[in-house]
Amino acid sequence: MKNIIPTTIRTRLLPLVLVAVLAFLSCASLPPVPADTRIVIFHSNDVHGKIDNFAKVAAIIDAERKSGADVFYFCAGDNFTGNPVIDQYVPPGEPILELFNRLGLDLLCPGNHEFDFGLENLKKFAARARFPFVCANIQAGDLLPLLRPSLMLATKGGVKIAVFGLIQIEAGNGLPSTHPDRVKGLVFSEPLAKAKEMKKLRAAGHVLVGLTHIGYEDDLVLARQMPELDVIIGAHSHTRVDPAEVVNGVLVTQAGGDNRFLGRVEFLVRGGRVVEKKGGLIELSGPMAEDAEVKGMIDRFNRNPAFAKVIVTAPLAITGKDALGSLMTDAMCRTHGLDIAFQNGGGIRLNHLPQQITIKDVYTLDPFGNQVVQLAMTAAEIRGLILNSFEKGGNIDLQVSGISYVVRTDNLRHVKEIRLSDPDGKPLDESRQFQVGISSYVASAYDFAHRDPGRSLQSTTAEALIRYLQSNIDLNMYRDIKRAFWEKTIEYPRP
Amino acid sequence: MQIKVNDREIEIFSGACVKDALRKFSRREWKQVQQNRKAAFDRHGHEIGLDGELNGGEEIFIKSIELDKPQP
Repeated sequence: MKNIIPTTIRTRLLPLVLVAVLAFLSCASLPPVPADTRIVIFHSNDVHGKIDNFAKVAAIIDAERKSGADVFYFCAGDNFTGNPVIDQYVPPGEPILELFNRLGLDLLCPGNHEFDFGLENLKKFAARARFPFVCANIQAGDLLPLLRPSLMLATKGGVKIAVFGLIQIEAGNGLPSTHPDRVKGLVFSEPLAKAKEMKKLRAAGHVLVGLTHIGYEDDLVLARQMPELDVIIGAHSHTRVDPAEVVNGVLVTQAGGDNRFLGRVEFLVRGGRVVEKKGGLIELSGPMAEDAEVKGMIDRFNRNPAFAKVIVTAPLAITGKDALGSLMTDAMCRTHGLDIAFQNGGGIRLNHLPQQITIKDVYTLDPFGNQVVQLAMTAAEIRGLILNSFEKGGNIDLQVSGISYVVRTDNLRHVKEIRLSDPDGKPLDESRQFQVGISSYVASAYDFAHRDPGRSLQSTTAEALIRYLQSNIDLNMYRDIKRAFWEKTIEYPRP
Repeated sequence: MQIKVNDREIEIFSGACVKDALRKFSRREWKQVQQNRKAAFDRHGHEIGLDGELNGGEEIFIKSIELDKPQP
């Protein structure tokens, strides 16, 4: 018979045909499954310690389980950091662990904030978890023995669901967005490149799921490069994707953040193939049924006894913005090895810390969850920051560590000069660059010229203060301390 | 890193969240977001949370919201 397909097309088609044949043979090698299987996957992401809605999540998932569908619950990472009451629990992560165990979580892909309590804590967390960790682009060896690149789940009728995980890494250091010390010893690879190795899972499962913590933009890239996937359940960018999008035949979804939504993906598998799929979000803010037992757990966690724990007994109550600001900025400098640190007055929310300082006091003093941002700055750039801060309110605003400063103005509060002094009282070296710490609020809300855009140290200003207070410092130094001065020069009109 | 907010490029520290970019972009717009009169959306029209983590090159759009219903 005459071959009517031109050679060039034949050459191009041949690999596709081979792939199709191999895929068919692979599917054919999977054991037979029931004619129709309805699979529901619930999913959460970027919970960040906001546990209050888990009683509703439990009620929704339990109701679906009773409906007869094959129900799974996945989490795409970032459960820690964002709610001090929960973050300060002892041991760290305990509320999340107990809640996920109770809710019957099936899988967790770690996000960058899963490392925020350090690797040792995460290892202990994983050891007590009744759910496995899945992430393909982390090589952990013995450091996280329970971590797998991918896993195979199965429905009651034998439909196989292959799942692999991916975590984001930063372009600069190739690490997830957490403090580098917290991921020492782990090896991370580029997630989208690693995903290509996961294509082989298509042959092993009737359903293929990417459980990712790489952000919505990269989820779209993944969908375009990997049509073998049935669904990508994402995280990291806190994107509210409702309904789920279909990109290159792949369902892509993400359930916002802060436990405001529960994601729900539904598949119909017929004869071993996904024939229908859809996804959407369930808003958790309104009144709805709650699981009483889970509600009780949440109430217990919210009464965190560690929050009332005394960190240190000071020889005196630390009073006034000068003293408190000096304490807070010293904490930033000491904790992060910085030369200089600044704290804005509006971020100091107490007028005094009692002698017995609790963790709750620290979070009342500094409740905003601002990150410490590090910048390399010259003396001239530091002056620009102080100038902007003074002009915002016509008064001293920034408290400081590592230097002292004087703002000299005329009687109309026009700034004439800003003098910077080192700790010995000498003028600050104008030729040097200093490593300066400021809060993420100051970094984004204050208008000042700086060549270095800076980087978040992935740790909050409040955490720095807790660590500083735990380090046996002599708090007597905060008696009558003052490092920022305003010198008003009265200028008379010229005759 | 460079982020675009309402088509205007801003430079912000790496590791910044959506709220940091909004504050840097405009105090007025940020206030309206805090008052729930506006919300942040990505380039695909999806609402993004204020603690959403940003990568360089991303785009954010601040848009009015009608009561609780986002209008991408």
